[in-house]
Amino acid sequence: MLTGTATYVDDIKMPNMLYAAMVRSPHAAANIRSVDISKAAAHPGVMAVYTGVDIKDVGAIVCGVELPGMRKPHHTVIATDRVYLVGHIVAVVVAKDRYVAADAADLVEVDYDVLDAVGGPEQALAEGAPAVHPQWADNIAFKFEQKGGDTDAAFASADVICKQRMISQRMVANPMETRGCVASWHAADRALTIYTSTQIPHLARTILAGMLGLDENRLRLIAPEVGGGFGCKLNVYPEEAIVSFAAMKLGVPVKWIETRRENFLSTIQGRGHVDYWEIAAKRDGTIVGVKVKIIQDLGAYFQLLTPAIPTLSVLMMPGLYNARNIHAEIVGVFTNCVPTDAVRGAGRPEATYGIERMVDVLAAELKMDPAEIRFKNFVAADQFPFATATGLNYDSGDYANTFTKALDTIGYKKLREEQATARKQGRLVGIGISTYGEICAMGPSPAVAAGGWESATVKVEPSGKVTILTGISPHGQGEETTFAQIAGDELGVPIDDVLVLHGDTSIVQYGIGTFGSRGTAVGGTAVYLALQDIKEKVIRWGSMLLDSNDVRFEGGMCIDNASGKSVSIQTIAAAAYRAMKIPTHSEPGLVATRFWEPGNFTYPFGAHIIHSEIDPKTGQVEIKRYVMVDDIGNILNPMIVDGQLHGGASWGLGQALWEHAIYDDAGQLVTGEFMDYAMARARMMPWIESSHTCTPSPVNPLGVKGVGEAGTIGSTPAMVNSVVDALAPLGVTHVDMPLTPEKLWRIISASQPEAN
Amino acid sequence: MIPNTFEYTAPLTLKVALALIGEGGKPLAGGMSLIPMMKLRMAAPEHLVDIGRIAELNYIREAGGELHIGANATHYDVESSPLIVGKCPLLAETAGHIGDIQVRNRGTLGGSVAHADPSADYPAALQALEAKIVLTSATSQRTVAVGDFFIDTFTTSLEPGELVTEVIVPVEAGLTGTSYQKFLQPASGFAIVGVAARIRREAGKITVARIGVTGVSGNSYRALKAEAALVGKAGSDAEIDAAAALVGEGVEAGADLHASAEYRLHLAANYAERAIRVALSRTA
Amino acid sequence: MKIAGVAQLAFAPERAYELMQDPAVLSRAIPGCEALERTGDNEYRMKMKMMLASFSGAFEGKVRLVDPQPPTSFRMVVEGSGKIGFMKGDGVLTLTAKDGGTEVSYEGDAQIGGTMAAVGQRLIDTTARMMIKRFFEKLAAEV
Repeated sequence: MLTGTATYVDDIKMPNMLYAAMVRSPHAAANIRSVDISKAAAHPGVMAVYTGVDIKDVGAIVCGVELPGMRKPHHTVIATDRVYLVGHIVAVVVAKDRYVAADAADLVEVDYDVLDAVGGPEQALAEGAPAVHPQWADNIAFKFEQKGGDTDAAFASADVICKQRMISQRMVANPMETRGCVASWHAADRALTIYTSTQIPHLARTILAGMLGLDENRLRLIAPEVGGGFGCKLNVYPEEAIVSFAAMKLGVPVKWIETRRENFLSTIQGRGHVDYWEIAAKRDGTIVGVKVKIIQDLGAYFQLLTPAIPTLSVLMMPGLYNARNIHAEIVGVFTNCVPTDAVRGAGRPEATYGIERMVDVLAAELKMDPAEIRFKNFVAADQFPFATATGLNYDSGDYANTFTKALDTIGYKKLREEQATARKQGRLVGIGISTYGEICAMGPSPAVAAGGWESATVKVEPSGKVTILTGISPHGQGEETTFAQIAGDELGVPIDDVLVLHGDTSIVQYGIGTFGSRGTAVGGTAVYLALQDIKEKVIRWGSMLLDSNDVRFEGGMCIDNASGKSVSIQTIAAAAYRAMKIPTHSEPGLVATRFWEPGNFTYPFGAHIIHSEIDPKTGQVEIKRYVMVDDIGNILNPMIVDGQLHGGASWGLGQALWEHAIYDDAGQLVTGEFMDYAMARARMMPWIESSHTCTPSPVNPLGVKGVGEAGTIGSTPAMVNSVVDALAPLGVTHVDMPLTPEKLWRIISASQPEAN
Repeated sequence: MIPNTFEYTAPLTLKVALALIGEGGKPLAGGMSLIPMMKLRMAAPEHLVDIGRIAELNYIREAGGELHIGANATHYDVESSPLIVGKCPLLAETAGHIGDIQVRNRGTLGGSVAHADPSADYPAALQALEAKIVLTSATSQRTVAVGDFFIDTFTTSLEPGELVTEVIVPVEAGLTGTSYQKFLQPASGFAIVGVAARIRREAGKITVARIGVTGVSGNSYRALKAEAALVGKAGSDAEIDAAAALVGEGVEAGADLHASAEYRLHLAANYAERAIRVALSRTA
Repeated sequence: MKIAGVAQLAFAPERAYELMQDPAVLSRAIPGCEALERTGDNEYRMKMKMMLASFSGAFEGKVRLVDPQPPTSFRMVVEGSGKIGFMKGDGVLTLTAKDGGTEVSYEGDAQIGGTMAAVGQRLIDTTARMMIKRFFEKLAAEV
């Protein structure tokens, strides 16, 4: 990637390839009176224009989640009679180049009868709100409830109950590479090849084959280099089916590349919660119960996992604490906005933010130190495996140890003293703590929408070079390196001898994909297990070649324990393929395939502490120090791990301080470009002091837990807690994100009129 | 993100460029504002005249106590030119605040000035510097004071067929201190408020004060009341605060997602205070 | 977005009111107006071309003048759409005699959508103000 030689979807060019441009609704809600394609179709260079009627045989968008009583919109890939969100596709133009396609798309005339729209979840629930889907007047897609323990009794017995409404605002996933696909139809074989920027090549193949009515084995789906996904490419979108449809109709390859503007309008977004939290505790700070009511903005229809995301929030709601009584309610709400779905952290950031804020709210109410109240309520190291009130089984951990390391690193006691001094001078200095937990390594198959196992094939080639085929689909997580390391360690071969292949359904055995911090913990384990099979075979071949029953495999060599004579894995590989002689109960070749089903999720955790100061004159937040101590189990590649954590933190800080997908009352995304959508930039990031503790996971033989989302989940509450702590002398107990300077300035000037 | 069809010419001489612009061609300088708008089809010029290859617009020279800067100087050129850094540091400092390094490498002084974005950085400095803008057409050339050049949001006194060819700023004598202070919008990097201060202090008294403001309203302006409040003063904290408080007086402030009018005016005073303070510290 | 403000005209409210109901005057005063064609009582079809620095956009829409209370107030509803988006403005203009002329105060709502809404946020307010200013300047020049 750094040298510019990698192949992304847009780098793929094929003979006679045509380009598609989508015609999208500028309105969030409208009936379509007519679609006139005549001018566009007559435009020179245009090969075809299709509307919703033309493409009606292509299946609707697939949602992999069922909740009891859930209302599921039937979302066709092109609208026919009504549009439900800005960006909804109403026609597609296929032309000889993308410029002609874009010009012709402008010539498609759609007559809209514009309707009132719903721009947010609470607006959707308001009295007299327009119905997003006319058949469901209340805009409620589902209600979901989960209870653990006896929350009513717990709240009745509590000395103190704190309540807080808080918002996890909508975020745009914003991968550097937008979506895009190329589809190519091979009529002779009735076979379709699709190159698409996805995190889930095999699942996408299965789903698209179903939508297109193709045999699954005649659809080859290739994810070339993918420039980031962050969850938004854990989906199958209308455009992939539309482009495939066009390629099949026209018999030539068709390409579509999403523009950045389209990405803001048509790729899933994340968060979108309005949450009502309650926490009940004893006077000494012991938490006895937690309640949350989540209003989830689902958007206009369901993408692959849309309704499931808030249920992950429920699972995570007790955080790292011994809270045995929980009660969660979710109201899933339709809005005329882009669907929400899995975006980095997917449901867990919202819950972690909520519980970590509530613990601080409680500490403030009880006038306790926020560190002390956490120690008081942590699940203790000797309680693992720990069954939570939400039905999870935390695998391993020592929360107090990790938190202590973070406190020591930042010099917590001294920092509090300095803060007290600063406060006397009228300065707004804050110390924010987040002790977060995570549900990673998705996951046991019964608990995830499409199977949670992962696959790997390890092939030792005749030359001794090692090829790994993994079912995950790395797109920046670096498993090409990490898996090569695992193979290098297990087989004693140089890392450069190992090639990791992924993302091509014709090369790799079926797999699930990359999401939910599962790549190494689940996919890596499958690789590890296949390597154990290889080692067994190597020993069998080595025994034969050394003519010994007592050999060991070490550093790439099979060694006869008696004579010390040895034979290398390269020699063994050559012999295994040449097969002049074959060990008994063995077969030629040196290949192993394993599918691994994890018995549990893994549960990384950590402590993030942010020391900040607010400029009372402007409301601008300055991060003075950021200490993160993360426990993600065993670490295979420290540089990759820290990169994931830092990147995650930039997300979390982005949400806390800057980012916001703002929809107006008409359902228009008003932060629909980088001119107004304030994604975190490198120059905005603080120096991060990152270190680790290590509690290996017992769930997998590598002892790893997963790190893709941890930084995102841990950082947001630390930042907000820091700012709220800075404002605590003004009587502030909560501020909703993003913590923009003007918002803080208004709070400060309202309480200190003289500062204005 | 696919522009409409357009014709493109990249003349090598100013003469040819001006002829084409006279025929209705739209000048393309660094393209940092125009190209994104074209890609969004918010702008659809039929004929782009790329002036980027015209070497005769690429100069920075000193003459007659002034610096003459050709329109094609990039923000990075302005930021890093030893001549500008040494003799008109305010302009160099301001250029360093623009966008990001990629934008500064491509965007040009002439292009930015002609575009007249109400949140651009340069106008604050140019107002404080009492800069002059040279406008050239195929048949004429005129020099306009910056105060007469910026008329309103994206509106300048450029006539059809005219091109911004040069910006003239004064060479700072000793005893003058300058500073540009900016509160930036985190997404775009544009100024929510940008204040440029240029102050001369002689024998302990402020003799000249020029304060240029951008971002606050639809057009950049000079804060004349604040300037007047400084002249004759020594520059004590109280005097600075009093002057800075006047910087938004009578100004109809704009508002957007990122800052209300009230907040903008508050920031204007606050950033004026910072700019004046730093400028005074540099007068020695 | 809320829009409110005040403008001064050098002529009496009766005259000002009359001018603002006259399609010929309106077509000259509305910035970018290329055609204003009567389609019914106090209802006009409008073609507009917005030009602002490098931005440009053609709009087609309608203008309606409602709740006429000559010479003190009326409501103006403007709707337009084009390739770069759509806009809707709805406001009440109130005319009062002041210093031998007229003070026009206006108050209303403006809404925009499409590409314009998403990429022009930071410019909407200042641009709207400028266009209103131009409108009244043109109107003032009518006498």
